[in-house]
Amino acid sequence: MKNRGQLSRRQLLAAAGFVGLATLTSCGSGDDGTDSKDLAKKQDGAMKEYKAGQQFRATEALSFSMLHNNNPVYPTKDGWLFWKELTKRTRVTLKPVDVPLADYEKKRGVLIGSGDAPFLIPKTYHPSEVAFVSSGAILPVSDYVDLMPNFRAKVKKWGLEPEIDSIRQSDGKYYLLPGLHERVRSGYSLSLRTDVLDKHGLSLPTTWDEVYDVLKALKDEYPSKYPMTDRWSTNTPFPCGALFQYLGQAYGVRAGWSYDNISYDGKAKKFVSTASQDGYRGMVEYLRKLVAEKLLDPEAFTQQDDQAVQKLLAEKSYVISANPQELVQNYRYNLKKQVKGAKIEMVPVPLGPAGPVVNSGSRLENGVMVSSKALDADTFVAMMQFVDWLWYSDDGQELCKWGVEGVTFTKSGGTYKLKDGITLMGSDPDAPKDLQKDFGFFNGVFTYGGSWELVSSNFSADEKKFQDGMAQRQELPIGPAHPLRSAEQEQATLWDTPLKDHTIQNTLKFVLSKRPMAQWDDFLTELKAKNLQQLVDLHNKAADRFEKENG
Amino acid sequence: MVSADRPTRGDRVFRRANAVVLTLVVAVTLYPFVNIIARSFSGERQIRAGEVTLWPRGVNLTTYKLVFQDSMFWRNYGNTVLYTVVSTAVAMVLTTCYAYVLSKRQLRGRTALIGIAVFTMFFTGGLIPNYVLITSLGLKNSIWAIALPNAISVFNLLVMKAFFESLPSDLEEAAQIDGLSTYGILLRIVLPLSKAVVATMVLFYSVSFWNSWFSAFLYLDRADLMPVTVYLRNMILGATGGSNAGAATEQLSQVGANIQSVTIVLTALPILCVYPFVQRYFVKGVMLGAVKG
Repeated sequence: MKNRGQLSRRQLLAAAGFVGLATLTSCGSGDDGTDSKDLAKKQDGAMKEYKAGQQFRATEALSFSMLHNNNPVYPTKDGWLFWKELTKRTRVTLKPVDVPLADYEKKRGVLIGSGDAPFLIPKTYHPSEVAFVSSGAILPVSDYVDLMPNFRAKVKKWGLEPEIDSIRQSDGKYYLLPGLHERVRSGYSLSLRTDVLDKHGLSLPTTWDEVYDVLKALKDEYPSKYPMTDRWSTNTPFPCGALFQYLGQAYGVRAGWSYDNISYDGKAKKFVSTASQDGYRGMVEYLRKLVAEKLLDPEAFTQQDDQAVQKLLAEKSYVISANPQELVQNYRYNLKKQVKGAKIEMVPVPLGPAGPVVNSGSRLENGVMVSSKALDADTFVAMMQFVDWLWYSDDGQELCKWGVEGVTFTKSGGTYKLKDGITLMGSDPDAPKDLQKDFGFFNGVFTYGGSWELVSSNFSADEKKFQDGMAQRQELPIGPAHPLRSAEQEQATLWDTPLKDHTIQNTLKFVLSKRPMAQWDDFLTELKAKNLQQLVDLHNKAADRFEKENG
Repeated sequence: MVSADRPTRGDRVFRRANAVVLTLVVAVTLYPFVNIIARSFSGERQIRAGEVTLWPRGVNLTTYKLVFQDSMFWRNYGNTVLYTVVSTAVAMVLTTCYAYVLSKRQLRGRTALIGIAVFTMFFTGGLIPNYVLITSLGLKNSIWAIALPNAISVFNLLVMKAFFESLPSDLEEAAQIDGLSTYGILLRIVLPLSKAVVATMVLFYSVSFWNSWFSAFLYLDRADLMPVTVYLRNMILGATGGSNAGAATEQLSQVGANIQSVTIVLTALPILCVYPFVQRYFVKGVMLGAVKG
């Protein structure tokens, strides 16, 4: 009874809020109605005819404010060639509001909340834009993609409509211009000490069964060591975020960093609970076996990254998770100094019961939000064209990534080469200049996504091999759009967090043999008691509703 | 005094135990400092391999050279000095005046004035309202956004008020009879007698301004306006943040561990140098403020 009383009070409040909002928006809707027509009045500096592939150039000098993520590895400089070249080509000056990377989200929240946000708010990861939707402070950009020919062309060419649908809100609009990838770029996999494998006549594993065999063989040779240790267990609710992510993928489930309480089941064509999928149990049993047979260091789930790497460097372990950068810049670089003749290599994610698949949805990247205030400016159309050119056109993306042809790079065929004396992320340690630090290119605020040719243009030989291996894999089907209404969203959040905590805690308990596998069904029952089924139903209902309303 | 001349057995045991415990506390407190200093002189490889504890390994000075050459570091360092000096000066003037006024019992509305100050200890406007306030006052991107909102720390105010209350009122009355104005009394009689508490407050304020980063982070928009604490925080936390961990691998390259250590050492250095000299006032000042005469 008490509960019902509270709920109705909340509903009352919500209703009051809606009335308030309705009055507000009804005042505003007058503007809204004329907005689309009024765009005609917001043409200052805009190009009359602006098409995909065309160079954007404002008809008058313009400037736009933009939130800028100040990366400590390449701190912002006013003199960057990037700013100058950008103005030269487009007549647009970006006025960055520098925010230290460490607290970017916090300041973004304050600026948007106080109505003081710059026009452009890049480096926003879905779903963090959702929090700002109800306030009306950010623009439903989907209403304005007509102004963005490059964006639309790329979405169409690369068949990204389902991905775009997945970020729509309950009003059918999306509020974030996401980065677009032509192909899935896989990031993480296992890396193994190949010289040690060679010494014992072992070859690189291609399936998880072979991984087990290799670890077992290493254990026989070095009984006192754990053949594998792991990292990426801190700063994340799901320890060993990388390992669980790519191991889960091999079992066809989302775990680790990409864990979510609900998953889309392509066969059943509906959302299901992640933990109750067979693949999830399979994944847990596999890791449990590794830990039980002392093949995987149990500290992997709690230690700091540095500790894990130290174990690798001190030859206490021979296998560890990697991404191509860490492999080259950290493991290999340091191993070379520490262990004579050490070689380490990264394998394409080993195959599991799910076959050659990769998780879906990873073709969208972080992206740009636009402040609602920008719509009031007379330069709105020009700004959207500019955003389209800079973040979505081939030329714009090339400028952001490699800089100016002949000055910072040369290009022959599809191959980019940095000019002599310029280094990128340690490619030439003796070079006096750095593409990021001294020129402002390859800046994470502007550079992500794009065609596979561009994305792969800076791959090291190792990464190329790895990505080529992964490129053959098939993407798991992506779920249909299932945006929740704000009251539902609140309810879902209340259910989500305890479910997630309980799942992660018990996943670890099962993996570390602190709970017998016989209790797996009990575990699922516990999840049910925490409203798992209601959560799944809620999302399925939302998907049905969205389909009905937006077809 | 007798016991001081001839310590009893119990005293001796207590002192020894005390010495042991305190030495341990000192060691525990000092270890991170020494470790960071050792790291700052060590090679990156040795730090990564976890070999550095108390003494530098693979000694190198190039990191110091590197950091010394970073113009943004010095710029932010200069900002910190400037912000600290100006903010402390503003804070001292305002706090002293407020505290002196509050220490006068005959003042009408004194309770209300204290109430207003104490109220802010328990309630704040919140992040966004504060931000809106500062922005609409036009203080954003200026030193005043840092100096003014934090100019009066209520805790310091109350300590100072208690200290002023402890001064004998006869002194001030005598000065009044001799013809000094209110300001004259404050400047020529009260303040010279309050050196201990003033020194303490200067220390409190300057350390807190030196270490503070949040208001600068919030109210300043350009990297060249930031104090060195923001620079440091970004360097240490920036590349290791978990939120992007799954996605953009390019962003994960870290700033070297030895660069971090060097920056920490350089940032902590001035406070370490000043502290021992002001510390004696510090103890005295707090004691005097705490016990009302």
